[in-house]
Amino acid sequence: MNIYQPHLARVEELVEETPDTRTLRLTFKDPRVAEQFTFKAGQFAEYSVFGAGECTFCIASPPTRRDYVECSFKTVGKVTTALRGVNVGDTIGLRGPYGNWFPLDQMSGKNVVFIAGGIGLAPVRCVIWNVLDEREKYKDVTIIYGARSVSDLVYKRELEQWAGRSDVKLWQTVDPGGETPEWKGEIGFVPTIVEKAAPSAKDTFAVVCGPPIMIKFTLPVLQKLGFPDENIYTTLENRMKCGLGKCGRCNIGPVYVCKDGPVFTAAQLKALPAEY
Amino acid sequence: MQELQELAKKLLSEGRVQVVIGYEAGAHGVRPAFVTDAADCGRLIFDPRCVHNLAVYLSPRRSPVKRLGKPAVVVKGCDAKAVAGLLRESQIKRDDVVLIGVRCSGVLADPRSGATLTGETVADKCILCDLHEPTLVDHLVGELRPPLPDMPRVSRRDLMLERISAMSPAERWAFWQAEFSRCTRCYACRQTCPLCFCEQCVADKSQPQWLETSPHPRGNLAWHVIRAMHLAGRCVDCGECERACPAEIPLGLLYRKVAQIVEARFKHRPTEDPEVPSPIGKYSLDDEQEFIL
Amino acid sequence: MSETYLTTSNLLGLAGDLLTAGTQVIAPAQDAEPLVGPPQSGPRVAYRVIRKPEEMALEAGMPANSLKEFFLPSTEPLLKWRYQKNDVELKEVETTFQPRVVLGARPCDSAALEILDRVMGWDYRDELWFGRREATTVVNLACPGEDDLCFCTTVGSGPDSVRGADMLLVPSGDGYFVEVLTPKGEALVTAHRERFSQVEKGRAEAEQFRKEAKAKVDRNLNASPERIAGWLAGHFEHPFWDKLALQCHGCGACAAVCPTCHCFDIVDEPEGVLGGTRRRNWDTCQTSKFTVHASGHNPRTNQNVRFRQRIMHKFFIYPERFEQVLCTGCGRCARVCPGGMDLLDVLAELEELAGTEATPSKGAA
Repeated sequence: MNIYQPHLARVEELVEETPDTRTLRLTFKDPRVAEQFTFKAGQFAEYSVFGAGECTFCIASPPTRRDYVECSFKTVGKVTTALRGVNVGDTIGLRGPYGNWFPLDQMSGKNVVFIAGGIGLAPVRCVIWNVLDEREKYKDVTIIYGARSVSDLVYKRELEQWAGRSDVKLWQTVDPGGETPEWKGEIGFVPTIVEKAAPSAKDTFAVVCGPPIMIKFTLPVLQKLGFPDENIYTTLENRMKCGLGKCGRCNIGPVYVCKDGPVFTAAQLKALPAEY
Repeated sequence: MQELQELAKKLLSEGRVQVVIGYEAGAHGVRPAFVTDAADCGRLIFDPRCVHNLAVYLSPRRSPVKRLGKPAVVVKGCDAKAVAGLLRESQIKRDDVVLIGVRCSGVLADPRSGATLTGETVADKCILCDLHEPTLVDHLVGELRPPLPDMPRVSRRDLMLERISAMSPAERWAFWQAEFSRCTRCYACRQTCPLCFCEQCVADKSQPQWLETSPHPRGNLAWHVIRAMHLAGRCVDCGECERACPAEIPLGLLYRKVAQIVEARFKHRPTEDPEVPSPIGKYSLDDEQEFIL
Repeated sequence: MSETYLTTSNLLGLAGDLLTAGTQVIAPAQDAEPLVGPPQSGPRVAYRVIRKPEEMALEAGMPANSLKEFFLPSTEPLLKWRYQKNDVELKEVETTFQPRVVLGARPCDSAALEILDRVMGWDYRDELWFGRREATTVVNLACPGEDDLCFCTTVGSGPDSVRGADMLLVPSGDGYFVEVLTPKGEALVTAHRERFSQVEKGRAEAEQFRKEAKAKVDRNLNASPERIAGWLAGHFEHPFWDKLALQCHGCGACAAVCPTCHCFDIVDEPEGVLGGTRRRNWDTCQTSKFTVHASGHNPRTNQNVRFRQRIMHKFFIYPERFEQVLCTGCGRCARVCPGGMDLLDVLAELEELAGTEATPSKGAA
């Protein structure tokens, strides 16, 4: 099989996360592929809607759950618009997994702080469930998640599950003005809430994902809290086509995001030219 | 040349413009130059190698050029028509640019050529030229040299077009298929065109996907026909698309043919008067409309 | 490696033998009608599949295209799909190819094949590329040096370079002095033994040809890719880039004729209601569309930074990754650029900067 050939996958379930964001649960049509397909938290895939093209997202489900693969996407371009048109039972394509991953073996035995904004929770959710499915391996787990408004929060059912767990500290927030009368969480931008939550930097890894502006303002907060740049992880989203280190689209300086990334430490990010 | 350099120096040193867009001699032929320092005006030249249409640099999508400040631009007659096109279609304002007209009796087809200007080496567009002294300008410099004694009477393109017109439809189809087959969709034709100023080209849109981006016969035919239609009555025949094409597709034939049709039907020729609307921009009860079903 | 000799008439004969045997032959050819090109440009010399040996035009000047398109076509299918109710049927593309021979490749074009093998083969192996590579025997013809825009000797190649080639022909006397370089080259000679003859004379003449060509190209540019790469590594931000590409039109003419530019796009094109073809098409970092995200965000905001990417990728990123400069010095980009962007000038300026500014500036990569 040549490297551009996707596997076929069936849409098993779809969840409307927000008015413009959806999660698809996929299973491989070929049982051998289903058997053999493995990945690590943070890796991405190329999803095909035949006739519209391919688009790149992280795999949003954890590798600890082998029966299916999930992806969450926001409707913005041609392919995501087409992807929004698929229904349960439809067939789409998937090739991957590609890229590097979050260093869970390093995080084992340590505290983990997850910080996400908007749809940026998708790659983080993969790590969160990976950690929670092997909860005994990690110490404190803190999740700080925010979106513009209550309706923009994704994975609402899971947020409830995490809120209900005694072994997870969950902070939820919406931007000022995005709250509803029933909103019980925080009101404020994610960096502000990180400052308020003030997770200890000792023996702690941070996983940060969200819009560039959120990352830009969150990193200094983490620094102030004493997180070394080497312990802060994020993922980059660059425009990609092949995912295989060939098509040349995702270069940032000498880096191929599809091969060297998408997971980078804040230290690595700082060394990169600002072309992302 | 000195006249041009002096003028550029004056414009820059008096602060009337921040950049003079003209021509300079590089190591391998003449190329566009962006002079921002009055002391550098000695770089500016004008000679028969100055074939480029610099009006393209006035296009609003040239952000690095725009950032240099108010420009003065060196224009030949054909280039002035392109500036008129930008004015006509509200892409620039007349006060935002200083136009330095140059008298021109013809340029070479190739700016890297060291050839003498003759009827043989002259750019095809010059054979058809009706504007050796642009008038839509703030300054006019240089001298008009006597017409080339051996200037061809008919443009080579028109000769080619006659041959193509004489072909059977099947032959003509085969001819264009063969020519377009070399297109790789590099879009040099579009990027060098002063009137292809769209913020987003129809070829770059994906929602909806108006035309296929693949350089196969279907996609290439669609691209070249659509571009020809979009330039009908607007193309100023500066020849830049054809000069730019790395696949040497005779685009000039296509645009010349469309111009002939526009002229025959709408009595319109591209002019350097921005007040004269192009056929696409006006409606007249006398317009031929037998093609409307 | 072995040596042999091929007369001019035997080269034509070899092409004829190959064609008769059904082998595809790619060679520089001079196109007359119906390929007229612009009325003024004269006959166009380009690599193409020939049907008759006489179509070859090995000494008519540098082909306008590079050899790239025969290994990475400007458009090629990656798969076909067909919808069937909820299901989709996929048809894979063939990745094995019929044998073919390139006769008269320019060394700057064959070198690109070797260079691109790296990116096409690292980690994930591009079967479409390597399928064509394996099916193709490349016979180089040493080049006399085209013009003042050649700089192959600066970037690790040369007018008689054998990078990417299976055989090298060097003009000598009434034919060519032949170096057979690889098993594929040996196989070609063995299969057409009667066309080749013992080297009796001509070695000195061939040597002279090579020496003169090198000297001719050497004059064109004095720069060191290693030094330039070192400077580029530390100068992602530098005033040099700010005015670099003012005259650049942001088209892909340079990339289209470049033997090493290999960036591509992948698109789906429906054919009818149910089926269609996924294709890979040439693309280039010089267009504004190349990096734009679906959200509208574009990390490369203007032509200066896009041209910087072109330089960075060729002279820093690729050497850093793959130990090869992503340029063979063919000079085609400078020949075709409608805006007069001149890679030789850029490299000469970078060489000067590298000589004077050793310390990295802010924003170092």
